[in-house]
Order: sequence, then C-alpha cells, then structure tokens
Amino acid sequence: MRRRPGIGGLQTAAAARDQYKKLGENVAKIRTDMMKEQLSTFRSQLEDFARKHKNDIRKNPAFRSQFHEMCAKVGVDPLASNKGFWAELLGIGDFYYELGVQIVDICLATRPLNGGLINLQELCQLLRQRRKSDRGVVSEDDCLRAISKLKVLGSGFEVISVGKKKLVRSVPTELNKDHNEILELAQGQGFVTVDEVERRLSWTSGRAIDALDTLLDEGLAMIDDGHKDGKRRYWFPCVSPISSLTGIDSL
Amino acid sequence: MQKLGEFKLPHFFNYPPYFTLQPVRDTREKQIQLWKELILDYCKIQKLFVIALEEEFPLFTNTVTERSLTNEAREAFLSALVSEGRAEWMDKGHRKCLILWHRIQDWADILLQFAKDNGLEDGVVTIEEIRFGTESQGTELHGIDRTILNRALKLLEQKGKLVVFKGTSTDDEGIKFSV
Repeated sequence: MRRRPGIGGLQTAAAARDQYKKLGENVAKIRTDMMKEQLSTFRSQLEDFARKHKNDIRKNPAFRSQFHEMCAKVGVDPLASNKGFWAELLGIGDFYYELGVQIVDICLATRPLNGGLINLQELCQLLRQRRKSDRGVVSEDDCLRAISKLKVLGSGFEVISVGKKKLVRSVPTELNKDHNEILELAQGQGFVTVDEVERRLSWTSGRAIDALDTLLDEGLAMIDDGHKDGKRRYWFPCVSPISSLTGIDSL
Repeated sequence: MQKLGEFKLPHFFNYPPYFTLQPVRDTREKQIQLWKELILDYCKIQKLFVIALEEEFPLFTNTVTERSLTNEAREAFLSALVSEGRAEWMDKGHRKCLILWHRIQDWADILLQFAKDNGLEDGVVTIEEIRFGTESQGTELHGIDRTILNRALKLLEQKGKLVVFKGTSTDDEGIKFSV
C-alpha cells in the first residue's frame, strides 16, 4: 500500500495495522482450531484402534506399553477413572485395579520375610505365578502402572531405585541416604559386613552399625553368624535373587 | 532346588541367615514358623519320630551353604513345636524330642480306620502285627514309633475302643478292638 503523507496516511496505516492484527488473530485461531480438530481426530482414531486391538492390548504387555505411550502423547489416560469409555472399552481399569490388589496382597505376604521392601523383578515373578491361570502376561511396566495408581490411594506404596535395581516399598519406613547406600552395596553379594561398609563407604564404625541396626530392626535385614570366618553378615532379602526366599509356593 | 535324598528342600534352606536365630522378634517368628513346617514335613516323609539334638540331623546342617544350626536355634525351633503340641520333649534336659507329625489323636483315628479296613472291629491283633505286619504295609502305621503307638492305644483304651493285653512275652502284646 502506498504510503500517503498527512492524517489520511496515518489513518490508513492504523487501519492496515488493525487488519493485520485481525488476520493474525484469525490465523492463530485457525491454527488452534486445526490442532483441536487434529487432536480430536487422533483421539477417535485411537479409540478405533483400541476397539480393534482390544485383545492384543489385554494379552501383550509390550503392545500394551506402547499403547499407553500413544495415549499419553494425546493426553488420554485410560486409567484415569475406573468407569468411563476407556475402562469399559478395554476393561483396562479393572485389569490394573486387580493387579493393584494382588500386588498389595503379595507385599503384605512377603513383608515378614523382607521387611516391606521387595525387588520389582521378584514382585512381578510372584505376580505371574499367582496369575498363572489368567490369560495374558504381566510386565514390569504393568506393575509400575498399577503401583502408581496405588500411590494415588495414599497407601504408602512407592518404587525406589537402589543402584540398578528397583525396589517396591510397601511400608512407611523412610530409607535415608545411608540406608540406600548400604542396600546398593549389598546388591553385590546379597550381604554386607560392618568392615565392608566402613571400608567401601568410608564411614565410621558407629555410623555403619547404626544404619545396619536400623535396617535390622525394620525387618529389612537378617543376621548371619554362621560363616567360618566368624564375621557377622547382614543379608538383605530385598536385593537377593528370588530363589533365596521362600513362601513362594504358598502365595 | 536342593534335595536331601528324595526330599525337596524349601528355598529358605539355602539362605544363610535362616541358620542364625534372628534377634528381631517379627523376623524370628517368621523364621521359626518356616523351620517348624520344614521339620514336620521332613519327619513325616522320612517317617522319623525322634530328633536327638546333639546328633547329626540332616536338616540342621546345610553342606552347600556351610551353615549349621546352633544348639540354641535347634532348641528354639523344637520348643516351638512342643508349644504347638506337635512335639514332646522326651527328657528334662531337652536333648531328645518326639515329633508328632500326626498328633496322638490323629494316630488314634488311623488305628481305628485300620481296624475297620481289616475287619477287626471285634478282632484281636498283636502290636507286632500293627507295626510290622503285612496288613499295615503301605499304611502310615507301618514302622510307627513304639512310644507314639502306646500313647494312641492308651487314648483309645480310655474311650473304650479297645483293650490292651499282655501275652506271655512282650512280643505277644496285643489289642482287642471293640469299635
């Protein structure tokens, strides 16, 4: 537009600015509308997908996990409520709810053996054994999702990382950094000695014994005085491989 | 899974700390429960009736993990069985323990069943026959410990289900059923 001098020119410029502004707003609105439409299309496509592949989602943990990721990207949480479209369509709400109940059960049953701290791997194994008759495999991802739902209930369940492993905590016992370090150290052989803790972590004897005694009192550790070298060993059931514990069959 | 002969050992048997009596109460209770069950199961399968604490008992030592139960631990586990009525100390010094993997009442029932199965409701049979005879072969009565059998017989005698009588020698001790 050709610039005109004087008031007329100014008015034209103002009008032009207004028009550009409106155009800008329109474009923004069009973009948002387009996005909303795309999202809505995507959601309904996701619903179609879920309907078609209901069985695969139920039976195949890898598939199920990827499906969850897709949902997350679109802002859909199939587990948000036990009722509603997703729960009904897939029965997925029930699946995780049921899993959650079984997880709580297993944690309670093993608590006398491990003090309320259980290796995620072991938990999944026990879960699978219990669900032997059910169709479909349960993955660690499924366990984690079920546990995150449990957290919402304020049940004190939490997943903590110790070294490379994940442990599921079902008691209110807070593990401080010292305890965590000992657990990590114990992952090597399943046990530690006071000497080892002092040496490897550079702690005083008092600090080591203190931490170990707390873990013992909480039921997370067991003592072993039977080695021929006469040194007391502190074993941690929650970091030992599954075959070390018992009660599996009776669960 | 480790085996002792044909017996399948539970997983905890290979976890060293279970061979040390645990100081923390909850942990110790669980430990005792596991050992009680193991001892009863093992004795039942192997048909053992007496455990002598100072002698070598296969369950009390794990040669693979190189752990052995202390006397204190052995006594703790057996005492727990005694408290539950599943064992009895045979001496004041707690050195020998009678294991009741069947309670005396259960043995009494088994005896009655034996009588019915063999048409002995009004019959006579010797102690020897009950313990080692052909009729008892394949039943739980075969090889039963003498002390336990006597206790079961006494119980049934008190109920009027049988009478124990002595023959000319101890070998002729017998019972007359009146089931």
